Amino acid sequence: MRAYLLSVFLLVMVAFSLATTLEPWFQSWAGSRTQSDNVLQVALGDSRRMFARHFFTKADAYFHKGFYPTIYDRKEGDDDKAHIAESAHGEHDEEECAEDFLGKPKDWIDRFSRNFFASRHAHLGDADCGHDCCEKAKEGKGHDENCEHKHHEAGHHHADDGDADDDHDQPAKTGLEREILPWLRLSAEMDPQRVETYVVAAFWLRTKLGKVDEAEQFLREGLRANPGDCEIQFALGSIYYEDRKDIARARNILELSMMRWREQEARKPEPNILLLGQILNQLAKLEREEKNYPRAIQHYTLLKQVSPNKEGIQSWIDDLKTNLPPGAVTSPR
Amino acid sequence: MNPTTNSLGTVRLPEIAAEADRSGTLNNVFAIAGVVIKEMYRRKDFYVLFVLTALITLLMGSVTFFNQENIVRYLKEICLFLIWGASLVITITTAARQIPAEREQRTLFPLLAKPVTRNQLVIGKFLGCWLASGISLLLFYLFFGAVAGAKEHEWPVLNYFQAAVLHWFMLGIVCALTMLGSVVFDAPSSTNTIMLIVSVGILLIGRHLNKVALKLEEPAQTIVYAIYFALPHLELFDVRDLIVHNWALIPWHIWAAGLAYAVVYSAIFLALACLAFRRKAIN
Repeated sequence: MRAYLLSVFLLVMVAFSLATTLEPWFQSWAGSRTQSDNVLQVALGDSRRMFARHFFTKADAYFHKGFYPTIYDRKEGDDDKAHIAESAHGEHDEEECAEDFLGKPKDWIDRFSRNFFASRHAHLGDADCGHDCCEKAKEGKGHDENCEHKHHEAGHHHADDGDADDDHDQPAKTGLEREILPWLRLSAEMDPQRVETYVVAAFWLRTKLGKVDEAEQFLREGLRANPGDCEIQFALGSIYYEDRKDIARARNILELSMMRWREQEARKPEPNILLLGQILNQLAKLEREEKNYPRAIQHYTLLKQVSPNKEGIQSWIDDLKTNLPPGAVTSPR
Repeated sequence: MNPTTNSLGTVRLPEIAAEADRSGTLNNVFAIAGVVIKEMYRRKDFYVLFVLTALITLLMGSVTFFNQENIVRYLKEICLFLIWGASLVITITTAARQIPAEREQRTLFPLLAKPVTRNQLVIGKFLGCWLASGISLLLFYLFFGAVAGAKEHEWPVLNYFQAAVLHWFMLGIVCALTMLGSVVFDAPSSTNTIMLIVSVGILLIGRHLNKVALKLEEPAQTIVYAIYFALPHLELFDVRDLIVHNWALIPWHIWAAGLAYAVVYSAIFLALACLAFRRKAIN
């Protein structure tokens, strides 16, 4: 009995000694998760980035009403950039959008199964029927005189192929883009360092849902997690310029964003030229509207160096040099 | 006409005897099915899973994102995911334990001496499990409809009806497959595990096996394609995306064809289960 007690006492002492040695080392270890206040980071570690990416993709799938390629549908060389992100960056490609990743049915089970899942390209808020004319009507362009769907209301939702009940009386559903927000929020929670999430969420919040305050708040949250990030600063500057019409503050933030771009991106082997173009374009528009033509010309000159549309930009510069009113100049994208 | 003698020794015409046999068969099958249904509502499995589903759904529904009202699709997706998970667990665990439990508790011999034939026993157990899963599914979908309707202010009843019935018929295939498994494998735990893996596996990759096959060299391509055609495509019945994203109704003739597909596979697995059980030594 005495031998057992002594053995237990010895083991306790060894454990205590080890703990006193290991604990300070563990506290200062770079890989320790205890340094983080974020519960998700402690629980999931780096795997949270994978989840964050999944949730971001989920938001994109929601934007397409569930019509989304799986890993089995992707072909080699496919661009895996989310459409919601492309829209936010102003590079949404309609041709790519119209592409049907499913292709023709490979067999009868494939053909049959397409009735049981989302198998047609669509976006949130689209007229569910898929008629081009109804889409135009939704945009306020109306149906043609001879159009067979001219009695359809704009933005109506009804079943395809006439096999199910039509629902023409339902009013146009606006703000359905809200449905992507939970996944973007969750993605940001999982990986606060994923800048794209803040920029994309802020874009949809302010442009489609009119939630400018929430967009700004979310971007500031992103800035706290990613101090001095030029992309978030650009999005914030755009809010002050386009939504709040606070020109002075917008100018300051956009100029700061350009400065940060030079610090962060210019050194990279493949810098984000598109972002620089967007910042310069926004600044040039702002200065042009403020009739500060020399500054606008300066920004356009810099933009010309990075833009593929050099002739177009040169013509805007020439227009400004001849002091044309700002309204006479088309907005460059 | 040849007279026939029943167990009580009375003389009857063959047509009457056949009808009496049929009604006796149905009585036996429904009696066994009734016991299975009673067993389901005596056990705690369903209640636990239902409360868990309701709690998680309501908790997720109470969250607001960016002060935006009426965000509902994520909630529908989570709720349907939980319903699918819970229904699979309920169906597989219920079906897997039926025959082994009768054998373990030694109630199988008196049951078969009633007289209840082995086929009647298997069919009765299947029917009971399928109906029990249908009852639980009905409650789950009522809850789902209430939650979605409260948030969305819409009641696409026909869409929910199509989804629930497809789901129920899919559970019929799973139930029949599990009955077959419970006859082949001795322990319910191994049947549960194997059937869960098989069902989830089919749901996840069943739709894509043909694409995988086309990327393979021969003879692997033919083998994988043969598996693709032979598999019961459970994923056909998973119309959650259509419900979550408010797609239009499935054309009714396609929907009916889907149900017929489920009936065929259920019948095949049930026939195999009956065959295996008839050949199995029960002592």
